[in-house]
Amino acid sequence: MNVLARTIVTATPWVQTTAGIQLLSVLGLLFAWEFIGRTGLLFPELFPSFNSILQSLFTHVTTPMLIPHLKASLHAVGGGLFLGAFCGIPLGIVFGSRRTLMQLMEPLILYLAVVPKIIIFPIFILLLGIGTGSKLAVAAIAAFFPIVLLTIAGMREIRPVFLDVARTLGANKLQIAAKVYLPAITGYVFTGLRIGMGAAVTGALLAETKIAKAGLGFMIVEYYSQFRMPDMYSLLLFIFFLAAVANWALKRLFSLLLPLPRTAADAALYF
Amino acid sequence: MKQATKLNIWRMLIIAAAFLGLEAAVRFRWIDPFFMASPIQALEVLWLQIWNGHALLLTLLTLYEIGFALLLSTVVGLGAGFFLWRYQLLGRSYEMLLAALFSSPVILAYPIFLVAFGRTAAAVIALTSLFGAIPIIMNTRTAFQHVNPILIQVGASMNLSRAQMIRHILLPAVAPTIFSGFRLGLTYILKSVLGLEYVVQVGGVGMWLSDAAFRFEVTEVYAGLFGTIMLSVLFLYIINRAEAVVRR
Repeated sequence: MNVLARTIVTATPWVQTTAGIQLLSVLGLLFAWEFIGRTGLLFPELFPSFNSILQSLFTHVTTPMLIPHLKASLHAVGGGLFLGAFCGIPLGIVFGSRRTLMQLMEPLILYLAVVPKIIIFPIFILLLGIGTGSKLAVAAIAAFFPIVLLTIAGMREIRPVFLDVARTLGANKLQIAAKVYLPAITGYVFTGLRIGMGAAVTGALLAETKIAKAGLGFMIVEYYSQFRMPDMYSLLLFIFFLAAVANWALKRLFSLLLPLPRTAADAALYF
Repeated sequence: MKQATKLNIWRMLIIAAAFLGLEAAVRFRWIDPFFMASPIQALEVLWLQIWNGHALLLTLLTLYEIGFALLLSTVVGLGAGFFLWRYQLLGRSYEMLLAALFSSPVILAYPIFLVAFGRTAAAVIALTSLFGAIPIIMNTRTAFQHVNPILIQVGASMNLSRAQMIRHILLPAVAPTIFSGFRLGLTYILKSVLGLEYVVQVGGVGMWLSDAAFRFEVTEVYAGLFGTIMLSVLFLYIINRAEAVVRR
């Protein structure tokens, strides 16, 4: 067996690359899944064959059955992200513009950021009902925290000498905002938006799994309650794929607009 | 008076003002009490629940889930992180996959865990330990990767044994970075446990909140909300203090 493994590794040097290992790992996982699914070796209810998941995914993607749910979820996530940014960016700028205000407010926001946003959902249900509005509100709260915190982080990074130079040159408040603040914080705000989008997706879809009339999260729970496991897995795959594509697209778009500062990218780990 | 103390007093004043503002809004009916309970009444309910042992029992259950998940994450995270550092190629290969897993909304896969473990605390623990393990794995690998080679050379030149090298050089060098991963992992576990308890209606404080919302007990919903917020804030405070001690 050892000789066989060594022969394979020597004959195929690509196996020893990161891409090779990643590909082999994914293929190995899929192969193991299919084997378990077909033989029913382990939890037959939990592991349907991968083939049946792919078939279900094909049905979901090629028929219009998902469209109303996709629309509801996109509405909640998009609206939530917009609202989170609408409140988060100006507040971040205000809190970050004064050193004392920043020192006062940042810890308060940081502590509140740890609270799971989904627990505010019952209040939004009382206020907005079980329609898309309550999910949008959860998404907005979820997106707000990374956006406001990264905007504050961006404001903190502005070197006072830039402000002094601008004032010396006679720039007014509007000019300082446009020529100093905005270029300095854009990278941080973009990172905040990207992380906020991830938080909004999780918040909105998790709320949909709790109580909803439509949405991708609602569909997941519907499939779970009807024990349609291949359909549930295929929908989860679809959501993960969409989230990854949206994340990649935003990252690409923002990196085209301007290179992200390293500190902002590092801060992503905290959300 | 120190600047930090002044800021703390101001923060307390802001929180108190927010409470009083809400209290006034509910008392004078600027906000319909159907949507918003008076904060004083909510705190009263919370205190009663703590006093009769109900909230305490639920908090203990939540803490048990968090503790167990953290233990699992730490064991798996430290082991896997060390392994991925030891075998560099595997480490480089799985780094991207782990980061992708970390940034995807894995929490939505909770029904899979419900099927596997039933509607029990085990399902919450299993899923949340997965969240917690990823930052611990990544930070453990990074920590070992960034140990200054000069320190190891110094240890070798002093003829330190393997155990001494680990005890006196490796562990102190990797502790701060690993603790950052531990802090992140714990934060994620805390958020996911409370969130899942609410969504799945299993376990402790989160379930209480969900139950109260189901019965339309607005005051109890706010009491549960205050309790959850206080628990989260207390946890973060303890983690921050512990991190400061480790980094000292």
